[in-house]
Amino acid sequence: MIKLQNIQKVYRTDTIETLALNGINLDVAKGEFLSIMGPSGCGKSTLLNIMGLLDEPSKGSISIAEQTTGRFNDKQLAKFRNQKLGFIFQSYHLIGDLQVIDNVELPLLYRDTNAKERRRLATEALEKVGLSNRLKHFPKQLSGGQRQRVAIARAIVGNPEIILADEPTGNLDSAMGNEIMDILLQLNRNDGTTIVMVTHDENMAQKTHRLVRLFDGSQVQ
Amino acid sequence: MIKHLFKLIWNKKKQNFLLITEILVSFMVIFAVFILVVNYYQHYKQPMGFEYDHVWVVNYQSDVKIKDKDSLDVYYKTILSNIKAMPQVQEVSFASSNVPFSANTHMNNVDYKKVHVNRVNYYTAGDAYDKVLNMKVTEGRWFGKQDDAATVKPVIINRTLRQQLFGNGKALGEKVGGNDSKRIIVGVVEDVKAKGDYQEAGLAMYERIDTSSNDGRGRILVKVNANADAAFESRLYKLMASNSNNSGIEIEHLTDKRKTINNTTLIPMIILLVVACFLIINVALGLFGVLWYNINKRKGEIGLRRAIGASGDSVSWQLVTESMILATLALFIGIFFAVQFPLLNVFDLPASVYLTAILLSVMFIYLLVLICSLYPGKQASAILPAIALHEE
Ligand SMILES: Nc1ncnc2c1ncn2[C@@H]1O[C@H](COP(=O)(O)OP(=O)(O)OP(=O)(O)O)[C@@H](O)[C@H]1O
Ligand SMILES: [Mg+2]
Repeated sequence: MIKLQNIQKVYRTDTIETLALNGINLDVAKGEFLSIMGPSGCGKSTLLNIMGLLDEPSKGSISIAEQTTGRFNDKQLAKFRNQKLGFIFQSYHLIGDLQVIDNVELPLLYRDTNAKERRRLATEALEKVGLSNRLKHFPKQLSGGQRQRVAIARAIVGNPEIILADEPTGNLDSAMGNEIMDILLQLNRNDGTTIVMVTHDENMAQKTHRLVRLFDGSQVQ
Repeated sequence: MIKHLFKLIWNKKKQNFLLITEILVSFMVIFAVFILVVNYYQHYKQPMGFEYDHVWVVNYQSDVKIKDKDSLDVYYKTILSNIKAMPQVQEVSFASSNVPFSANTHMNNVDYKKVHVNRVNYYTAGDAYDKVLNMKVTEGRWFGKQDDAATVKPVIINRTLRQQLFGNGKALGEKVGGNDSKRIIVGVVEDVKAKGDYQEAGLAMYERIDTSSNDGRGRILVKVNANADAAFESRLYKLMASNSNNSGIEIEHLTDKRKTINNTTLIPMIILLVVACFLIINVALGLFGVLWYNINKRKGEIGLRRAIGASGDSVSWQLVTESMILATLALFIGIFFAVQFPLLNVFDLPASVYLTAILLSVMFIYLLVLICSLYPGKQASAILPAIALHEE
């Protein structure tokens, strides 16, 4: 599903050059649930951003869902992200000025989906994460766990083949974290969604199919 | 998507209120400026209706002691023929003090049957007045010798007054005014913009000067040749001085008077324009600043939108459209106030002036908002999604 070949990422600023990723080769199979672990600053988020086409590698090639995306222009990348990928972040990234339901509809706004269909799909996605009674709430009226569930609903509303989650439980206590983890496991099991998750939590990682460890930008296992 | 943006704006109404107010205030200022500009421009477009080049105005104070009407008549006509005899002089005529481009006005009413017209400029004019100023007589004739024996005072009116009094009906031979002061219309002339290029011609009625009385006089209009110079001017001055005991003689050129009166109408407008410019710059900077600030504050949102499928162009389109929606909301309120002016007829201006001013102001505001939001929008589209998400 995702194929990374010899990925290198260098961040250059005026004074320093950071080698965030070096020689990453990774294959994620369709329907696989992969977790990535490693100490802070080792390049986990960078790797996930590159998989999510939010950032370009300095070297190496990526192919996702049988497509090599290196030559995509901005519009094609946007469309690809919209249709194939769903993102979940540690800090949720909900739009505070929009109600829960509108936040969840957001990815569909960048497609040709009519308003009624958008509403239906968003409600369905919120049902899946157990939040069908919070449609009209604003994000600040929700708990952290609820917010992350909204973010998951937003990630799955467009029915993507791949979900990329960057420390989805990082801001939550273990009970809430387990809830979120259960939802992700269910998505993987029931819908066959391919999931790549960055985590700091060994217990979470143990529940996934495979674990990749990074250290200083390189794969260690 | 537009509906989505409306929702976003509505949910942020507190933050947007200030911006809308700012746009609204600038709309009202621009509207005021455009009313003035459009009004002046519409007047400016109208023809002058006469020629002012090489026309001089002789001011004098006549304190003639002659009482006998016939002698007085002879005395005044001699002055005119003495001036006319000078080789540089083409035409000469007596005039009342409200000569073209002067600050003097004589206003009165005119009645015709049931029609009552206010604010009519009254001019007292000699028989060659029309030739001095090269005015166009469109109906009937100007004053002449045949009016010496007239029992009803002859008058000439301008086109606009003719329109108001008679519409498309007959004007010549009609009698206007009260029973005791009936006047008969013998001619119609083209409108004369006597108050300068930027003021309307208004309504005008011309009466024939009576050279056997001392009233209604005080100015002599002289049309001179192109070669009339300072030496000639001083000879003209001397001639007048010897005729009228040298009291308060002054010679002015209509070209100079035109500049003066145009300046007095333009200067307030220029001041207003300068003030408006400062305001606009202020508003533009404010707008620019707010949009810029918004983009930096909304980096997380921008990054997220990029992640879930917005291209750079659609992000910048969204930000520009949001500003345009805000402008539209402000303009709705603004136009609501602005249309009250023609509806309530606040300044006695034609509705077309207000409507043109509204149209121009709306376009101006849209353009201003567009310009102020294009660059921040462009900037937002260049933000890399990974970095935008990182900074939240
Ligand atoms: N935009 C950037 N410019 C320069 N350096 C960057 C940038 N983003 C990340 N880095 C550097 O790249 C390295 C990897 O960063 P990354 O965010 O991928 O780490 P991480 O493994 O996700 O850490 P954490 O567990 O704390 O989230 C770090 O050394 C970081 O300082
Ligand atoms: Mg990270």
